[in-house]
Amino acid sequence: MRPSRSFWIGLSIILAACLLSPSWTVAGVNVQCPGDNDGDAQWATAGETQPGNTQCMHLAAGDGFVTMADGHLQYMFGFSDVTGVAPADVMNTGMLAAQFPGPTIKVKEGTNFYLTLTNVGMVMRPDLFDPHTVHFHGFPNAASIFDGEPMASISINMGSSLTYYYTAPDPGTYMYHCHVEATEHMQMGMLANLWVTPLQDGTDPGTNCASQKFVYNDGDGSTCYDVDFPVQIHAFDSNFHDLHVAVQPLPFALMKDNYPMLNGRGYPDTVNTAALPAPGENGGKDSQIVSSLITATVGQKVLLRVSSLSTVDYYTLTVLGIPMKVVGKDAKMLRSSTGTNLSYLTNSVTLGGGETYDVILDTAGVTPGTYFLYATDLNNLSNDSQDYGGMMTEIVISL
Amino acid sequence: MKRTGMKRSLLTALAAAVFLLCGTMPAIAAINGITGTTFNLTAKSGYISTAEGGSYLAWGYANGNGLMQFPGPTLIVNQGAVVTVNLTNALAVPVSIVFPGQTGVIASGGSQGMLTREAAAAGGTVSYTFTASRPGTYTYYSGTQPDVQVEMGLAGALIVRPGTPGQAYDHADSAFDHEYLFFLSDMDPNIHDAVAAGNLTPDTTSHFAVYWLINGRTAPDTMAAAGAAWLPHQPYNIMPMMHPGERILIRMIGAGRDAHPFHTHGNHHRIIARDGRMLSSAPANGADLGEQAFTTSAVPGSTVDAIYTWTGDKMGWDFYGHAGPGGETGQACVDAGVALAAGESLADHCKPFPVTLPSQETLTFGQFYSGSPFLGAMGTLPPGEGGFNPNGGFLFMWHSHNEKEIVNFDIFPGGLLTMLLIEHPSVPLMNP
Repeated sequence: MRPSRSFWIGLSIILAACLLSPSWTVAGVNVQCPGDNDGDAQWATAGETQPGNTQCMHLAAGDGFVTMADGHLQYMFGFSDVTGVAPADVMNTGMLAAQFPGPTIKVKEGTNFYLTLTNVGMVMRPDLFDPHTVHFHGFPNAASIFDGEPMASISINMGSSLTYYYTAPDPGTYMYHCHVEATEHMQMGMLANLWVTPLQDGTDPGTNCASQKFVYNDGDGSTCYDVDFPVQIHAFDSNFHDLHVAVQPLPFALMKDNYPMLNGRGYPDTVNTAALPAPGENGGKDSQIVSSLITATVGQKVLLRVSSLSTVDYYTLTVLGIPMKVVGKDAKMLRSSTGTNLSYLTNSVTLGGGETYDVILDTAGVTPGTYFLYATDLNNLSNDSQDYGGMMTEIVISL
Repeated sequence: MKRTGMKRSLLTALAAAVFLLCGTMPAIAAINGITGTTFNLTAKSGYISTAEGGSYLAWGYANGNGLMQFPGPTLIVNQGAVVTVNLTNALAVPVSIVFPGQTGVIASGGSQGMLTREAAAAGGTVSYTFTASRPGTYTYYSGTQPDVQVEMGLAGALIVRPGTPGQAYDHADSAFDHEYLFFLSDMDPNIHDAVAAGNLTPDTTSHFAVYWLINGRTAPDTMAAAGAAWLPHQPYNIMPMMHPGERILIRMIGAGRDAHPFHTHGNHHRIIARDGRMLSSAPANGADLGEQAFTTSAVPGSTVDAIYTWTGDKMGWDFYGHAGPGGETGQACVDAGVALAAGESLADHCKPFPVTLPSQETLTFGQFYSGSPFLGAMGTLPPGEGGFNPNGGFLFMWHSHNEKEIVNFDIFPGGLLTMLLIEHPSVPLMNP
């Protein structure tokens, strides 16, 4: 039966009422960034001035696709960077643009950091109306309102924006992730790296640190490094992801990961320095842009910012052939309460979900060549049933 | 993704919150347990509940002739005390108790088992005596077929207090305002079902947990009142509470098969001791070797003591929402002489809230959200939202960060999860 004329009139009235209602005029993309007049979270337009000590970023939260190292396509939830995108274009830009891991956030200690999160919805799951958040995992002395834990605060609905504020109070290696229905959204991939660099950067504490880059405000140069790399542990349960895109009930307690990854890829994709080929299923958007190839020249100090956002298992990582010096854990420098340096040399670090380590590899005297960083839980050296893959990457030391 | 089970969980939590907040229960010490030097425990069976509606046969230690409980009674003793634990066995299998971390334990009566002397099935008795020589957090559990019996619930906590009240150890680094037990465990219901079906020696090699518990409860039951009538065999709750600047002592025990990375939202915690030993470079140096962490694992059989505090320092805005008489913030508020809250940092006093919160129809609200970003303040919320935070506290989730462990079987949220409540300095704590 065709809809009657009165149906169309009624529908028109309802739509008009919705459009005219004041409650609808306030929804939408809304970036809050001091000094930014056109809502793109940056100061590139004439007449805009970046306030001192201020940084802004705009993330979109939605869904997308990634490709496992054995070719298996996986549906995912995730974040993408829409900083610099005009508000009117954010929904289109952000939809199906989820990246794994999400965009790395790097801020200097003490910066007024404004992070706007826009929920662009899940295109492949129109039956869902999930809100999203950003949890600044490990930030000290947090306030509930900006903690991103939805039971104790607020989360943002589809088509709207929420702005978080932090002063980035302490340097170190952190993580961020969505905390809404955390078991599901984190397994689905809403995870990323978050680093705070110390005020000591760019200064000379009286030691031999040509880079003037430090992990912490150590006062003595003991956390000096030349180059830093993300080493974020993730893993997917392909059954969970496949059921998700098929709109099926999800197994939570039976979750069992079969794609162990570093920075969103399994070996050998981890050593690809380019973005992985974009899946056609998301419209050809690059969704895996973080390489895990670690490169340095002999003599450099290499900082590995190791973190785990695995939702199921503990993982142990080793570097074959180069000692690992642990200088920080959970974004705190390893010092006793009286200031004694408690950093230590080891051959492995073990992380449960939600832990981070700062590991420095001193390559002075190291023979140039390729070294391997991998999970010593050797069953994780696979991409599902494909061997010689999984949680492994290469460290290339050149002259 | 919304699930009907979540609604049920939330109703349970609401009931729990009502219990807590209406003060219908008598005030109960935060670490509930039994004190003295002689303890009479009985090993018996009962049923424990999971928050999504499951009910499973469990074995546990009861206090005297009381109900079986999981975990067993927390034994709280003073350093130096000669402690005697008399165990009577009402189960159909032999049982025993071992006390890891205690030296010179003398077992008497019963018959010799593999790890210690055991009480015979159906009425046997055995006694254990030891001197609680060192303060700290310890565990006790069955030394008889422990792969089955500990899974079934025959385990508990032992706390040895030093001479100085308000400290965990003989050093001020372990001083606390509030202390809470975090007895972390996991459960494979197949083993419980097998025992219930009469197989008293089930295969435990295929153990696969689908429940994760704190103090014997799954969330949100973790936050229900201690001694809640509908959880007769799980009397211990866990919902830490504090005021800004106070110190919480976390007494964490790895009591299951697996380790659980325990994440404290809101701030780091400082690990001060492991396995009942302060992390000291020398006895006088306190916990100087203790590290700060935002996630800590207590591996099975081990204990960790940590101090958590929260001040709100360096937030960059005044989380009390202080303003002048005309609503002024910033210097005008300072000039108006607006007083500091107790313990408030001068650095952020009167600083305005840094962003505009989105309009309400664009938000989803948490049940613990007061409607205001400020501590001790209430805001307007849409009908049916919020409600679990009547004093405008700040709440932070403390949970396993292996996130699959914050479910009850396939129902999210649940499992190894609770909420820390930070109340305004003027608000008395319900669960001190």
